[in-house]
Amino acid sequence: MKRAIELKINGDTYELLVAPNNTLLEVLREKLGLIGTKRGCDLGACGACTVLIDGEAYLSCLMLAVDATGKEIITIEGLAAGGDLHPLQRAFVEKGGLQCGFCTPGMILTAEAILNEDAHPTEAVVKKKMAGNLCRCTGYKKILEAVMSVSEPGESS
Amino acid sequence: MRLPKFEYFEPNDINEAVSILRNEPAARILAGGTDLLVNMKHRVECPPVIVNIKRIADLDYIRQDKGDIRIGALTPLNRICMTSVIKNSLPGLAQAASSVGSYHHQVMGTIGGNICQQNRCKYFNQSLRWRSSRPTCFKAGGEMCYVVNKKEICYSTYCGDLAPALLVANAKVKLAGAGQVAEVPIHQLFTGNGKAPLNLDDADMLTEIVIPGNSAQGVLSYIKFANRESIDFPIVGAAFWASTEKNEYRVAFTAVDRKPLRGHHIETLLQGKKLKAEIINEAGELATKAAKPVKTSIYSASYKRKLMGLLFRCSAENALRGLNS
Repeated sequence: MKRAIELKINGDTYELLVAPNNTLLEVLREKLGLIGTKRGCDLGACGACTVLIDGEAYLSCLMLAVDATGKEIITIEGLAAGGDLHPLQRAFVEKGGLQCGFCTPGMILTAEAILNEDAHPTEAVVKKKMAGNLCRCTGYKKILEAVMSVSEPGESS
Repeated sequence: MRLPKFEYFEPNDINEAVSILRNEPAARILAGGTDLLVNMKHRVECPPVIVNIKRIADLDYIRQDKGDIRIGALTPLNRICMTSVIKNSLPGLAQAASSVGSYHHQVMGTIGGNICQQNRCKYFNQSLRWRSSRPTCFKAGGEMCYVVNKKEICYSTYCGDLAPALLVANAKVKLAGAGQVAEVPIHQLFTGNGKAPLNLDDADMLTEIVIPGNSAQGVLSYIKFANRESIDFPIVGAAFWASTEKNEYRVAFTAVDRKPLRGHHIETLLQGKKLKAEIINEAGELATKAAKPVKTSIYSASYKRKLMGLLFRCSAENALRGLNS
């Protein structure tokens, strides 16, 4: 039986009717048109569907939409404020940290979660924590450079 | 990949959860969801009822209580990696938690869910389409175990990372069940039956992990080998605990049998002796014979046995360094 839920996404509140077996990813993409969140493996192994929930990196393909009620959800659409790119988005552009762009929303949101935990992580920490986000075209060096450029002391995240 | 349909409950306290579980024997508990939901997408588990326990307050904590360390079942794995009492007193448990899946799995996954994860097998953890090329295996509801080509038996492997570290720490688990709360040694939680790996009644729910204070006074180390270091289940994992006071040692392995295994023969050899390179090497030879793994992953049984010896030596050497530091 469908349930009426309220989701707070990118600062907006949405009232939705969802089935318990709908994942958050399905609701974001199919009911709300927030297609910046990508469906990759759909099994929690690629990180493309990463969203921020209360500031932490979650795999939206492995989270029930009904389970996301009462939480603050941020998707890639909600990261840029007032039309200005987020520092991580700008860094990815400037450092060439993307090619086809499919993995980029997940990469950026995972990086944001890492920086939420620690504003100045070491390169080793960033490498380990971003290992669950797969990129099949650019390679990881420029992505790492982009994240590290934002995490350097004096840079704001 | 859509999830199958199910009836959904969100209990607000343990009693309500237990009551739902008692009324719905086929229900499954949802915690982090990183194991259960993948299995449901693969249609190897299709529970008619899901009981989401994440709304239950006060199951997410790490507390020190009269010297013991108590961890709530819903404590996320990344908090276990980052909490100083675990990092300082039980570094092997922090190492085990930080080796689980990816960062996202550690944020979402819980200690209770990691302990209670399903056994794994290359014939079981596959999509419905992949599995449709042959009759369903015994674990997924058919007759035959394709690992050993025998009927009515399941050789799937327990692959949890935290269980071996908790086994050597002599941890206990607190179970809330029909009308009672019980605290049992963690080894009693595992049946050794690949088809039903957990010794839990329908209405039982794991609520807390208790690590005795004297375990926190020894040195605990965990090391694992996985196909991809970044995000994978262990091919073999080894945990080692050592105490200099009585020269007491405990060893456990994961991913080598249908349940996490204690290496009792190795412990007998080491007991009462000072930990040195020679005795570690001798015990490493025994470690290769501590289990009879079968080929449930892409790695052969003989390779796994060699890894058991190697990882035992590495974890013991780590502990030795910890004792000397």
